[in-house]
Amino acid sequence: MNKFLSFSIVAGLACLLGCGKSSDATGGSSGGKKLTIALMPKSKGNAYFISCKKGADKAAAELGIELIFDGPTDPDPARQNEIIENWITLGVDAIAAACENKEGISTALRKAKARGIKVITYDADALPDAREFFVNQATPEGIGHRLMDEAARLCGNEGEFAIITASLTAANMIEWQKHIEARRASEYPKMKMVALRPCDDLKDKAQSEATALLSANPNLKLIMAICSPAVPGAAEAVKQAGKTGRVKVIGLGLPSENRRYVKEGVTDSVILWKTEDLGYLTVYAAHALAKGELKTGDTRFKAGSLGEFEIQGDNLLLGKPFVFTKENIDQFDF
Amino acid sequence: MLNEIREPQCAQQAGASASDSGTRTSLGFRNFVVGFSHRHFREVSVAAALLVLLAALAIFAPAFYQPQPLLSLLTREAPTLVVACGMALVIISRQIDISVGSQFAVCSVSAGLLAALNWPLALVLPASIALGAALGAINGALVAGLRLPSIVVTLATMVTWREALRWLRQGEFVNLPDGAQWFGLSQVTGQITLIVVALTLLVALALAMKHLAAGRFVYAVGSDAEAARLAGIRPQLTTFFAFVLLGALVGLAAMMNVVQSPQVDPKSGTGLELKVIAAVVVGGVAISGGRGNLWGVFAGLLLLACISPALTHLRVEAYWEKAIQGAIILLAVVADGLRSRKERH
Repeated sequence: MNKFLSFSIVAGLACLLGCGKSSDATGGSSGGKKLTIALMPKSKGNAYFISCKKGADKAAAELGIELIFDGPTDPDPARQNEIIENWITLGVDAIAAACENKEGISTALRKAKARGIKVITYDADALPDAREFFVNQATPEGIGHRLMDEAARLCGNEGEFAIITASLTAANMIEWQKHIEARRASEYPKMKMVALRPCDDLKDKAQSEATALLSANPNLKLIMAICSPAVPGAAEAVKQAGKTGRVKVIGLGLPSENRRYVKEGVTDSVILWKTEDLGYLTVYAAHALAKGELKTGDTRFKAGSLGEFEIQGDNLLLGKPFVFTKENIDQFDF
Repeated sequence: MLNEIREPQCAQQAGASASDSGTRTSLGFRNFVVGFSHRHFREVSVAAALLVLLAALAIFAPAFYQPQPLLSLLTREAPTLVVACGMALVIISRQIDISVGSQFAVCSVSAGLLAALNWPLALVLPASIALGAALGAINGALVAGLRLPSIVVTLATMVTWREALRWLRQGEFVNLPDGAQWFGLSQVTGQITLIVVALTLLVALALAMKHLAAGRFVYAVGSDAEAARLAGIRPQLTTFFAFVLLGALVGLAAMMNVVQSPQVDPKSGTGLELKVIAAVVVGGVAISGGRGNLWGVFAGLLLLACISPALTHLRVEAYWEKAIQGAIILLAVVADGLRSRKERH
């Protein structure tokens, strides 16, 4: 299998180099001293990050900068490093990364910093010394508490629930789980988490996992899906098992992917920050940092049409997570 | 092992010496009888492993045996079985196709988009199969026509289709119109239909591989392409059609998956190639071609498919899942390696 592995790496590299070159070419032809900001998602096919990109594109257009959007095809820390290395070679002005693995990416980001590239992270942080700011879409505490509060509210403060996550190694998901558990222990001791299953960030696998969870845990009252494809996957499983209403589904996800199930009453609440705002704020922050307008020690930051945001230490806060329900979900189209 | 796959045509001597040790030149009757018992040993051991797992579940987690979740599990695996049958053919012909996951995604999304345009499903289905066959034909033409190594060709198409899809869809789900799910049938009827389709294909292909001339050609080409050519078989044509058939089956499987939910995840099929290749190898098909059958693949697929729900039921932490699957694959490959060593001496 080693040969296969090296093959895929070589092919992947070739592909990346190709992408890099093409964006370089377009950047060069536009001339002038246009700033180039590179934005990295955890995986670029994920609708969540595509939605972030919409906001980022808007910000880039307003600021008149060049935006490169590239990342691994699937969440993969090693591939993220390769892309960062590539951006260092390209000489971009700022990098904004959503990190699949804290430790994994930090070395590459430190190297970028040493070369004078401004580095910020968003969505999922790296080690603090590897970047200047982290655009925090919602503190892990805020998310964990919100999820657990919703779960407890729907279950009447007692009963069994299970969690479906993207992968057991994703740093931000591990952080969220910690806060979910802390909240459960302190506020809702009669709630019990019976299982934690990964779905590889795939809707189909989430459905299979949820089906098994339902049959293995007859007393299950709620499934909490903490990655976006898992929410419709779990909802479909509950629906097919004929347990709509008896087993609740909540999760972190996109309104557009869950609208159907929320309206049918399978999924009760979808919790998320406004992802386009996250992309927008990230690009504004990266731009201000590259221009020297955003410095360590600042406590407020103004991002275009979104207005002012609070800075806590080196965390730029997007605000409180939002709960989409049957009543309000039609107002959002991402 | 990969050297053998990668250079099926250009390294005739290597190929010939490897398959001399095998027992699969369909021409020799004595060889066939010896090979018969060997072949069955492998399938029987996989089936035994599956039965042990099922028995363990019956004792320690009887909740596993509930009609709805079980039916659901089989329905979820039905498309995988269809792809695994096609993959077995390609691997028996001494090639490999690692682009099936990407083909699956392209067919799924295309089928979803056509259905969303209100095409009747009776037209979407053949369109999906035709698209799959066309994608398979591209692989087949490059491998058989230009005699390129299949692992490199399909690696390239795997990345190309996947990236093209990502670029076109930007990760957005495709929403199907109401009534597309389960072909408009009730859920249980739909599920049973899908399982019956998969099993019918399995039986038909297994019989065809054993009794039809075309089936024997695949084994002959996989054992020794040069010998097959001397016997009047056209190895390149056989290889080409194996890829086309796999593509068509992927198109069918994609459709079988699309109708299971009201929206299509454009990332669907990610990792499918590993899943089916694992099932094929565990099921006793030699990765070096020419040996194995679809019954073994069926048992291999069921074994691997049951691991994940079994762990959920036995309350084993999810960390173990991939390790256990990996261990099973390793065991199968080692068993094959030991046997071919024994045969050589």
